[in-house]
Amino acid sequence: MGGAVERLTKLVRSEDRFAIPYSELRQAQAEAMNERFEERGDRIKLLAFRAKEAGTTEIRGREDMVPLLFPHTAYKSYPESFLSEQKWDRLGKWLGTVSPYPICDIETSEVKDIDDWIDRLSAKGHYVSCTSGTTGKSAMLIAADRDMEWSRVDTVGVFSWGSGVEPERDRRMFGVAPIADVPKNVTIRDAQLAAFGDPRFAPFRLPVPPITVGQLTNMVVLRKAIVDGTARPDEIAQFEATSKERAETLERAYVISAESLVAARANKLFISGMWNALHQVATLVREMGYGAKDFHPDNCIYVGGGLKRAQLPPDYQEFVHETFNIPANRKFQNYSMQELNSGMPRCQKGGRYHVPPWMVPFVLNEDGDELLPHDGGEIEGRAAFFDLALDGRWGGVITGDKISLDVNPCLCGNAGPSIRDDIMRYADLDGDDKIGCAGTVDAYVRGLS
Amino acid sequence: MTTLDLQPKAQHTDSDDAIRVDHFIRGRVITGGAVHYYSRDLGVEFATPEILLDELVTPRSELPPLLDVPTEEIIDFLVACGERLVLEDNVYLQEALEHIVATNPLPRRVVENLFRVARNRLTKEALWCSVETSFANPLALDGWVERVDFAGQHGALRAFPSRMIHMMAGNSPTGCISSIADGALVKAINVFKMPSSDPFTCVAMLRTMAEVDPDHPVVRSMSAVYWRGGDERIERTLYRPQYFDKIVAWGGGDAINNVIKYLGPGLQLVSFDPKTSISMIGPEGFESGAVIEEVAEAAATDVTVFNQEACLASRFIFVEGEREGIEKFCARLQERLGVDRQTASEVAHPLPVDTREEITMLQVMDDDCMVWGKPDGRGLVLLTSDPVEFHPSSKTANVVHVASLDDAVRFVNVATQTIGMYPPERKSAMRDRLASAGAQRVVRLGGAATHVAGGAHDAMFPLQHFVHWMSDEDA
Repeated sequence: MGGAVERLTKLVRSEDRFAIPYSELRQAQAEAMNERFEERGDRIKLLAFRAKEAGTTEIRGREDMVPLLFPHTAYKSYPESFLSEQKWDRLGKWLGTVSPYPICDIETSEVKDIDDWIDRLSAKGHYVSCTSGTTGKSAMLIAADRDMEWSRVDTVGVFSWGSGVEPERDRRMFGVAPIADVPKNVTIRDAQLAAFGDPRFAPFRLPVPPITVGQLTNMVVLRKAIVDGTARPDEIAQFEATSKERAETLERAYVISAESLVAARANKLFISGMWNALHQVATLVREMGYGAKDFHPDNCIYVGGGLKRAQLPPDYQEFVHETFNIPANRKFQNYSMQELNSGMPRCQKGGRYHVPPWMVPFVLNEDGDELLPHDGGEIEGRAAFFDLALDGRWGGVITGDKISLDVNPCLCGNAGPSIRDDIMRYADLDGDDKIGCAGTVDAYVRGLS
Repeated sequence: MTTLDLQPKAQHTDSDDAIRVDHFIRGRVITGGAVHYYSRDLGVEFATPEILLDELVTPRSELPPLLDVPTEEIIDFLVACGERLVLEDNVYLQEALEHIVATNPLPRRVVENLFRVARNRLTKEALWCSVETSFANPLALDGWVERVDFAGQHGALRAFPSRMIHMMAGNSPTGCISSIADGALVKAINVFKMPSSDPFTCVAMLRTMAEVDPDHPVVRSMSAVYWRGGDERIERTLYRPQYFDKIVAWGGGDAINNVIKYLGPGLQLVSFDPKTSISMIGPEGFESGAVIEEVAEAAATDVTVFNQEACLASRFIFVEGEREGIEKFCARLQERLGVDRQTASEVAHPLPVDTREEITMLQVMDDDCMVWGKPDGRGLVLLTSDPVEFHPSSKTANVVHVASLDDAVRFVNVATQTIGMYPPERKSAMRDRLASAGAQRVVRLGGAATHVAGGAHDAMFPLQHFVHWMSDEDA
């Protein structure tokens, strides 16, 4: 790790990390990106390819980095047939093009399924997470040991800064969302438990069988088989039956969560989940006749992820906060994504997401290939970041989000760059008015539940 | 290219920069720019008049205006209108052209060429051919045709005009001319819902017709309007069997899903599904430099139709034969993709970001994938041993080297429309298996965009589906 990267990432433990004005960060960030580029330029094959195409030999400022940022879709660029046809060596080779560390040889002849393969990679220090493929292809993200260490520290810092909750191990932990059993999620959960969990209570976890990468990608695999015309009716029926069973198990688990929360209402709670799960559990708690007056007045809540297209009433946040008696100054929101490794917590006073010094923010044009001029104030466009803390893959990612970034001080008094709380996904903004006679067989695959 | 639509719903604003879109309601041109939209493909602002829903619906108590007009007279009228489709003389087409180049990804010259050949669709021969191949007895369009069954019982049949909404495709500006002709031939009452990438040509065409005869029953049977596809206020209200019999829709995905919601007894969908087309070339195609030259040109002709925006444009080329010849073919094909043609430009739009990413990855993995050209819209050829998983577009051909063309049949599916074959003699040996896999059309390589008149479209004869078969029986 180079000197500038080290200087900036060391700030993760600094109280004032969000107070540094952007003008003071700019030079150090450029130097740090260049250090990363020098270290990784030859080791990450995809990066080497892009650098060659762009003729980049040095990073002097953010403009030089733009052609080297990976679109978030880069992590979905593997052919799905690698999954459906269980070509683990090929998938391994693909991971090798985005990893700075060579993927050690893994005996793939006897790999049972993707979960088995991922376990074998984990044992060698390659941690593979994947995003849920409910609306399409799953992104496969590889990380290294240092990334797990970083997550452990960063997640506690982010939550503590955003919610004002000190890591004093005085809270009863409740996790109510169905969380994928991938290394990053497990690391975050364990780190939160160690920092905030009251050792007198066993942590509550949503009682459902672990959700594995295999389960997340099952649908993708079946979809591919349907497209190829090789899926048999029995397979489809079996898949639908399993989905239905899982949905029922999940319903029951929410009821158990609600009952357990009510039983623990006198304790000071740390409730974590995603909005959809939190809203469902809160509704059950209300139906049982409990609400704000029954819960501890200093509860806190950790929300991960966005709405994921869940349909919730407009007041879902207030409803959840009220149900569990979350005080106004404990409301927590974090902007991040699986592709990055650091969070951007929202401040209480200004209601904006703050970008830490080791994250280099970029606002690009919609196509994501040009840096918008930014001489001060707030500008809007496609978000990209370079997470200097990332070790097991390239830190530069172009997101699917539309953001407004401000480099002037926030109302909360912090002088570092911040993002307005109205982030939207370009995918959700696109109209659905396109009609043409050309198209693919994807349109012929009826939805799977 | 993705387009950010900042205002997915219709907006009432006063902006004067927006392109004006006129509506056409049964012979009357409706102007006004009260409602503003952004085009889907290029994000251009345009403004339409407010839609008065009552005007779009002809009560069932009124007989269709074309009911008693003989087919012959309708065809004469369409031919007379076709004769006015001369770009140099027709101000409506000229005006439409200026606007289309702003909202449609097709290059100007391609749109001009399309306008220049549009009149060929409205010839007497072509129109009669389409009627005669669709109806065993075309007289059923003009009146009640008597028939007697095997038991000697008498009855009569009529192909009665229906009430139709046509959801037009946006990728071919002159596609509306066929839709208008079809709607007229079956004497239907037609509402054309124009696409955001071309809310102009259909009205230009109808205005041309109104100039020939403003009171002609064909003109009084046609309306063309724009609303944003999926607009519930309009679609929930209009899509009812009391108002319409059929919705004729192009495309798939959201466009069709929006329509499907409203289907039910009495309201039928006639869908032209989204399609992918392919080519198959046997070892004969790589035997000599001269043959390779000819085959590459034929393949490029099929790949580049409408800069590959069309369903009949080939995207995957399955090849059987010697590697050396195939690689030469790929190199030559890439060069021929970059040529300026009647319906394709030298440079198409660059490929979408996620596709470029997958192509980069194919190169980085240094597999057996070979690449000619760049994803810059000037022509790209990818030689692989399995088809790529993305949708090749903007003049991209994925050449797939298979051991035998028989192995390529498994890549034919229910979305496969046209298969261009070389040598053409292979067609007859393969066409049954291709049909069984789901394909609809097999042609000579290079002939994807040329048609034998009066053929089937999307595995059906659409005109048969456009009528309301009414039966009068004396049993």
